[in-house]
Amino acid sequence: MSLARYIARRLLQAIPTLFILIVFMFILVRVLPGDPARLIAGLEATEEDVERIRVLLGLDRPLHEQFIDYLTDILRGDLGTSLKFETPVIEEILIRFPRTLELAIVAELLSIAIALPLGIISALKPFTKTGALATITSLLGSSMPIYWLGLILIYVFSVNMRLLPSFGYGTPAHIILPAFTLATLLMGNLVRITRASVLDALESNYIVTARAKGLSERIVIYRHALKNALIPIITISGLQLGALLGGAILTESVFAWPGIGLLLLDSIYSRDYPLIQGIIIFYAVILILINLIVDIAYAFIDPRVRISLWKSE
Amino acid sequence: MKILEVRNLKVYYFLHRGIVKAVDGVSFSVEEGEILGIAGESGSGKSTLAHSILRLIKPPGEIVEGEIIFQGKDLTKLSEDEMREIRGRDISMVFQDPNTYLNPIMKVGLQVAEVYEAHQNAKIETVLDKVVNLFKKVKITDPEKRIYSYPHELSGGMKQRALISMAVALKPKLIILDEPTSALDVTIQLEIVNLLKEMKEELNASMIFISHDLELLSEITDKLMIMYAGKVVEYGSTKEVFNNPKHPYTEALINSIKYIRKDTLPTIEGEPPSLINPPNGCRFHPRCPKKFDICDKTEPSLITIDGRKVSCHLYGEEE
Repeated sequence: MSLARYIARRLLQAIPTLFILIVFMFILVRVLPGDPARLIAGLEATEEDVERIRVLLGLDRPLHEQFIDYLTDILRGDLGTSLKFETPVIEEILIRFPRTLELAIVAELLSIAIALPLGIISALKPFTKTGALATITSLLGSSMPIYWLGLILIYVFSVNMRLLPSFGYGTPAHIILPAFTLATLLMGNLVRITRASVLDALESNYIVTARAKGLSERIVIYRHALKNALIPIITISGLQLGALLGGAILTESVFAWPGIGLLLLDSIYSRDYPLIQGIIIFYAVILILINLIVDIAYAFIDPRVRISLWKSE
Repeated sequence: MKILEVRNLKVYYFLHRGIVKAVDGVSFSVEEGEILGIAGESGSGKSTLAHSILRLIKPPGEIVEGEIIFQGKDLTKLSEDEMREIRGRDISMVFQDPNTYLNPIMKVGLQVAEVYEAHQNAKIETVLDKVVNLFKKVKITDPEKRIYSYPHELSGGMKQRALISMAVALKPKLIILDEPTSALDVTIQLEIVNLLKEMKEELNASMIFISHDLELLSEITDKLMIMYAGKVVEYGSTKEVFNNPKHPYTEALINSIKYIRKDTLPTIEGEPPSLINPPNGCRFHPRCPKKFDICDKTEPSLITIDGRKVSCHLYGEEE
């Protein structure tokens, strides 16, 4: 079985992508307005101090030398030192990332748990009240602005009812509001995708065959239609999860959830270039991995994909 | 003895732009052990007719009128559960395109085994030996391995054989074949037709064979029914209809397949009519080379002449 070879090949293919991203990041940070050396030195610093810091950071050297240094550091797993926290960027990321991961997974699972049944019901009973209710719920969910929904939830559950903490991280109770807020947004899309792919599967010719065999409607739907419908649903939820891992910036800031999204926001405010670059490269790696995992998950459901991905080699 | 009798069947599709009268008052019957051929252009309603017999028409399509008498029962009046018991067991069906009529993510053998699951309450895994025997019967090579193949791992012909094995598994009384060879290569078509004939002999089943290949139908069917725009235009013994067509449409169809011996391909001018607003009078009159004054005014009824039924004003009801 060459699943391992397939994974190796995909990872190799990711190298050019990452390289282009790193070049792009490197250039972008250096053409942006704002001088990091001056920022670190502070407003009061003399011109000499700023110059000294610039030399210290290597910002005075030719660009290509800076780039080669930068690249070799990255290859060693060194993403530089945060200007603001004065700790290695990678450390900072590794502290924050698990929290974002936690929030993303809980939100995604919550959204799947709500969206899948809603989508299926609205596909199976398109012209009933339940079906309409599912459609309306999904529409409401996807059109609700996160900061608004977040604030309303805080107002109701934290301020009025005093049931849940309004911000921060720590106990399981802390995750309920931010996860629910995120899930509401994700759910809208997922309900629509689920509904569309179930309807699509039900229209397929193999469903006619299944019925012509005399199978009960329950088996026709569960074994034939839903399993086929799962394929696009997995893609969408995988991609959603990938997007969330980059940090749900709005949600994390509304609920002061100290994840990677909030870290990115902080680093942008304080022009902490090493940190910004580090987070973005980290995010790219995560996205590449998520895409790979989604493709493999795909292949386990759909034998045709298995062939086109790795068996044919 | 009649195994199936369809009386005045009307199947309409209720669309926003209007009602499509895909099957509009069709009657016919199938005798025990007989093969009835149904021919017509695309859109003539033959496939809708085939699906209606097993009540596999999906909304917005609906059987609006008529009776489908099978073994004394009117299928249009059965409950969904009673109908389910008939599907696959007493009446089975083989479809046009084996590539899309098999579930792409389920092993072929298991899909065939589902017939036993549906009607004999058997677990799929326990009837695989029966499926192997079926595969042998329909001449699928290497059946022990093939039952574990996915549809995309089989050729079109193999897939159609698998679907045929599904249709004959429970020895049904009637097999409906909806253009079973149209999607296959010419060389494979003959093999599949021969297999179907073999199966029919073995099971002593009746068949409804739908095709637009008149030549094929003339060879294997006992009776032939020609449809045009949702209506029957001619219906009788295959030999008579084929050798001595009465309806101008049948005649034109038969001429168009004998073109090999001529220099030019005779065609039927014009397009099949809209089924939402069919032409007044005879639905074929705008394209008919023999039309005369009353053809666009009154609709001809199906009359019996020379031992067959024809619906054309050329054969008036004077007698």
